[in-house]
Amino acid sequence: MGLLSVLIFLPLVFGILILAMPKSLNAWFKYISLAVSLVQLAIASYMYYHFKTGDAFAGVNQLSQYQWLENLNWIRLDVGQFGVLQIDYLLGVDGFSIGLIWLSALVMLVATLSSWEIKTNLKGYFALFLLLNTAIVGVFCALDLFLFYIFYELMLLPLYFLIGMWGGVRREYASIKFFLYTLFGSVFMLLVIAGLYLSVIDPVTGNHTFNMVYAMNPANYIDGSIFNSLSNAEIFGFPARTVGFIVVFIAFAIKVPVFPFHTWLPDAHVEAPTPISLILAGILLKVGGYGIIRIAYGIFPEAAMSLSFWMGLLGVISIIYGAMAALAQRDLKRLVAYSSVSHMGFVLLGIASLTSEGLNGAMMQMISHGFLSVMLFFIVGVIYTRVHDRDIYNFRGLANKMPVFTGFVMIAFFASLGLPGFSAFIAEAFTLIGAFSSQTLNGLLPRWMAMFGTLGILLGAGYLLWTLQRMFFGKFRVKKEEWKLALTDVNAREIMVLVPLAAMALVLGIMPSIAFNVMSSSVNQFLLMFK
Amino acid sequence: MDSVFTNYQILCFALTAITAPFLAFVFSLIFKKLAGAFGIVSITVSLVFSAILFFSIWQKQTFHFSFSWIKLGNVSVNIGILLNDLSVIMLLLVSFVALLVHIYSVEYIRKEALRYRYFAYLSLFCFAMLCVVIADNLFILYAFWELVGFASYLLIGFWFTKKKAVQANKKAFIMNRVGDVGFLIGLMILLSQFHTLDIETIFGAKGIIHSSFIHNGNWVSPFASIPDYWLTIAGFCFLLGACAKSAQFPLHSWLPDAMQGPTAVSSLIHAATMVAAGVFLLLRVSPLFNDVVLTTMASIGLLTAFMAATIALTQNDIKKVLAFSTISQLGFMVLAVGVKDNAAAIFHLSTHAFFKCLLFLAAGMVIHQLHHVKDDTKTKFDEQDMRNMGGLARFMPITTVVFIIAALSLSGLPFTSGYLSKDAILISVFEWASERGGVYWLFPVVISITSWLTTFYIFRVIFKTFFGDFKLPALINKKEKELHLHDPNLWMKIPTIILAVFCFGFFFALNPFSLEGSWLHHAFNLEPHAGGLLHLFVPIYINALSLVLIASAYFIYAKNKIVFTNHKSWYYQFSYHQWYFNVLYDKKLVGLILWKAKITFWFDKHIIDGIVHLSAKAILVLAEIVDWVDTHIVDAFVNGLANIVSSWSVWFKSVQNGKLQHYFIWMLFIFLSFIIYKVII
Amino acid sequence: MIPLQHFLLIGAVLFSLGLFAVITRKNAIQILMGIELMINASILNMVAFGKYDKIDNTGQIFGLFIIILAAASVAVALVIIMNLYKRTQTIDPNQTKSLRG
Repeated sequence: MGLLSVLIFLPLVFGILILAMPKSLNAWFKYISLAVSLVQLAIASYMYYHFKTGDAFAGVNQLSQYQWLENLNWIRLDVGQFGVLQIDYLLGVDGFSIGLIWLSALVMLVATLSSWEIKTNLKGYFALFLLLNTAIVGVFCALDLFLFYIFYELMLLPLYFLIGMWGGVRREYASIKFFLYTLFGSVFMLLVIAGLYLSVIDPVTGNHTFNMVYAMNPANYIDGSIFNSLSNAEIFGFPARTVGFIVVFIAFAIKVPVFPFHTWLPDAHVEAPTPISLILAGILLKVGGYGIIRIAYGIFPEAAMSLSFWMGLLGVISIIYGAMAALAQRDLKRLVAYSSVSHMGFVLLGIASLTSEGLNGAMMQMISHGFLSVMLFFIVGVIYTRVHDRDIYNFRGLANKMPVFTGFVMIAFFASLGLPGFSAFIAEAFTLIGAFSSQTLNGLLPRWMAMFGTLGILLGAGYLLWTLQRMFFGKFRVKKEEWKLALTDVNAREIMVLVPLAAMALVLGIMPSIAFNVMSSSVNQFLLMFK
Repeated sequence: MDSVFTNYQILCFALTAITAPFLAFVFSLIFKKLAGAFGIVSITVSLVFSAILFFSIWQKQTFHFSFSWIKLGNVSVNIGILLNDLSVIMLLLVSFVALLVHIYSVEYIRKEALRYRYFAYLSLFCFAMLCVVIADNLFILYAFWELVGFASYLLIGFWFTKKKAVQANKKAFIMNRVGDVGFLIGLMILLSQFHTLDIETIFGAKGIIHSSFIHNGNWVSPFASIPDYWLTIAGFCFLLGACAKSAQFPLHSWLPDAMQGPTAVSSLIHAATMVAAGVFLLLRVSPLFNDVVLTTMASIGLLTAFMAATIALTQNDIKKVLAFSTISQLGFMVLAVGVKDNAAAIFHLSTHAFFKCLLFLAAGMVIHQLHHVKDDTKTKFDEQDMRNMGGLARFMPITTVVFIIAALSLSGLPFTSGYLSKDAILISVFEWASERGGVYWLFPVVISITSWLTTFYIFRVIFKTFFGDFKLPALINKKEKELHLHDPNLWMKIPTIILAVFCFGFFFALNPFSLEGSWLHHAFNLEPHAGGLLHLFVPIYINALSLVLIASAYFIYAKNKIVFTNHKSWYYQFSYHQWYFNVLYDKKLVGLILWKAKITFWFDKHIIDGIVHLSAKAILVLAEIVDWVDTHIVDAFVNGLANIVSSWSVWFKSVQNGKLQHYFIWMLFIFLSFIIYKVII
Repeated sequence: MIPLQHFLLIGAVLFSLGLFAVITRKNAIQILMGIELMINASILNMVAFGKYDKIDNTGQIFGLFIIILAAASVAVALVIIMNLYKRTQTIDPNQTKSLRG
């Protein structure tokens, strides 16, 4: 039982425990969740602290270089002439996942603290919440495609109920849309996974395998199999590996979300209860980016390279499109949701550039956006829990009434719009630099993409500052008289949530090496696959 | 290395100079009551160390220290400190002006409940500005460049309940963002071309920019080769960045709006230091600019200088006049960089910092005192509107004197610092034009006109504000004695007096008529001017006409003897409405973008999401069809079978109705059937 | 000698009369009587056919059998009818449905 297994299954165990406890202990559930999250964060921090960096621990396509590796034979089914069905319980961490694991631990803690506002059916809520926790951490640790897929799908189930039961007015619509949309992508991915299984063999045992690390090595492909790059197999007249890449990419692009697969996001975010919005924005979207890097790009590098232009184009469109849509919003939460589309566009642009700066920037952007979007959604939640309204035009001059809160809002807004000193600045600057130098270094992305990408930074300042002006500055005025009493400044618990997030954004902005150190050797190793 | 200090000591001094304001920022937010003291002490510390650095670096050495900040495999980003002549002069200038403004602010902001924020923001600004000045790396420069903008945002919006103030700070930040985008793209071009952003490595005397060249339509550096238009684009990008920060056309319109902030802030940030950062950036990267960019830059500078001067002629708000004056003067500096006279640009930047800061502070004193009058008498009038002033010289003699000194310097009259620096620019422009000839002669002509306009508008302010009739008593129906109008106290007076001293030319040159004798100009002037005739001719013709203009302004505005403007004429309206840029930007451009945003959202909601919904609906329709087929065909078959069986069974059931005779008939019937069957077979 | 056809004809007439009674009568007693008629018709046929078996007299013996059986069944049937009457106050077979499946 390794550390990773503990990290993954700890919430599950306590989730079951909560289910077993009587309803009279309602008040305890949130403290149990909190304790679990704290332990998780402690374990994740321990791992991050002891994470070995350097080229010898790069991971990516070298199974032996992964850390905290756990490999158990899970399913071995002898299927006669087809050999042995091999599914492994294979967990491991490298530079791409360690940061995201830590991020998920922190976001889960924050989301738990934010769950104080949930008042109904606590037992179900926290049980599902902990199940979700297990699935999320599992996705980032799994190195076996089958295991990965199980965790990946397992995320959907609790989310469906969490949005559908504890959500806002149109929660059924939003949850079904979210569920079906995501499922739509992943089901086709399952086909590709099956195809990979038939193509890849484990060099040690000689069996077919779901091991995604082996799938990254062309030598492990059977001659003439569908995904072998030499066999030139075709699906519907297109090269099989290109089709495989596109299918996997779309599955994760829906998660990211990338234009034009993003429309589930505003609905799901708006209707989800605050803690679930935090998880959606803070972690779920990163699963998409992580998947694109690890699976889509990692397994189909040459297909990815040939489509880099389109990837970059989608990234740029997402950046500008999301920002433009955000500019048109009246609903604060929807605005933040669209800003996520814009910010996650940078991730895709950075990945598509396939340069060291671009990829590091993209990873940084994921982590940074993890902190900042969580902060933004929490800020929306603070207002919403007080007056149950989010319309920007119904508020003015909140700074008079809620000075501390406004301070946090300003930190969050300015950090999101890329003020130097905060992580988003580093992330976006590096992403754009990577995208720009791509043409000189590898000729994948034209320079104008980076130049258009900078417009996203400009528009970001537009919608955030406009919101700041409309909602927080000016004379205090709200729509209803009773709101004046309800709108109190942030309480201790809320400060406890906001402070670590702001601090993390600031720390990463001033000392980005904290994050870059652990990921840079993995990124370099990753880039070697594209040479 | 003939410095008295070791490198280590210099590093410590520099770090102390920049961290002191940062600590003041942090502590001001924690210990709110002591904010003012923290601010003044910290900036004094900065000033002292800046002075030490100045005397150990100036004209002696270049100090460069950097360490690795981010390492990404083989890419490494360094940060550090670069102290050369330009840095230390700016360091000294910024900390000195900032100290005076801090002292001034103590009185100016005394009555504000949230004054701790004011001092905290001011310290943050000082920290960022000092870092901009000493950054060794364009990436870090960019970071602090934005931070400066952020501090300016906070300070413009200090009175955040004022609607105009929060609109102004948003506008300032966003327009600066436009420039930042240019700056960022410029950075990306440089990084991909030179693989570093270190200023000394790229632009230093032995920098790699000098070993890059244009060959066969390609811009070749030791690391990469890209099409040559990227060199021009890079130049334009940095120019765009500088235009936003230094409020140059077409990104100038934020600066007049920024006057919504406290006047002391306008004085420090929007006159003396931050807006000069744009010019500073141009100076830092000046080896990059090719001829196209330089000519564009000169044109922008010229246009801005002229445009802002014409606008300043008609404004009634005293701060607006000064704001446009600032824009105009920054135009002079940009023009100077454009004609490749960096020395003149730096020189004018320094002298301008003093006299423009002084102008704002003096105007602030007027506004401050009038505000007191307003509070005391409980009346309402606009304390910034010059139409409500006039004749203040009698009540505020010191304010009047310092204002006039600064105005003389701005006009560039002899014995003032402005005389030296402005002439430096004018002479360079003349030389530049004479080298090129033709249409380029427009530059010296227009800039001379602008120079005269400057004299006219600033003396218009003086005569309207300090001379002529005292209009206020009539305006608010009070007697003169009830108003208690007088010079403010020492906190405000002393900084202005010190600044006034620095407006005199002999501080910069022993011979106040000799530009070449100026130590500041001399230090940067690599190619001394050739023409002796220009040195004689330019100052004389400029100043002669200036004196005439001062006299005419006196008669127009102080004595009201001459009325020469028609307020309804198109040129007056054009100037008064600031060339209609605000209408164009705020209404048309912002409207256009918002309209586009709405279109995007509509597109998102109805087209993209529409497609999703449509596909969902299509699937639903398909499902309906399948359902119909299922119920009416597939299930109908099964059900039909069941129906047949069940209807038969019902019929059979009816046979067993319990009636004896029916049974009997049935028996008979079956028996007979059997018989018949047997018979037939 | 009376020819066999006459016996058969009478038997058929008797049987038909009995059958008619059984089908149409609303009284159980009458139905019983109809049954008796049918039985008698069959006895008549048995006896008439008995002339072809002079050695064993199977026809006569069967006739005796049937008479005895008919007497027993009449006794049983009458008891049923009486019990039916006790229970339902009617002996109309159409009124009772306890035989219904």
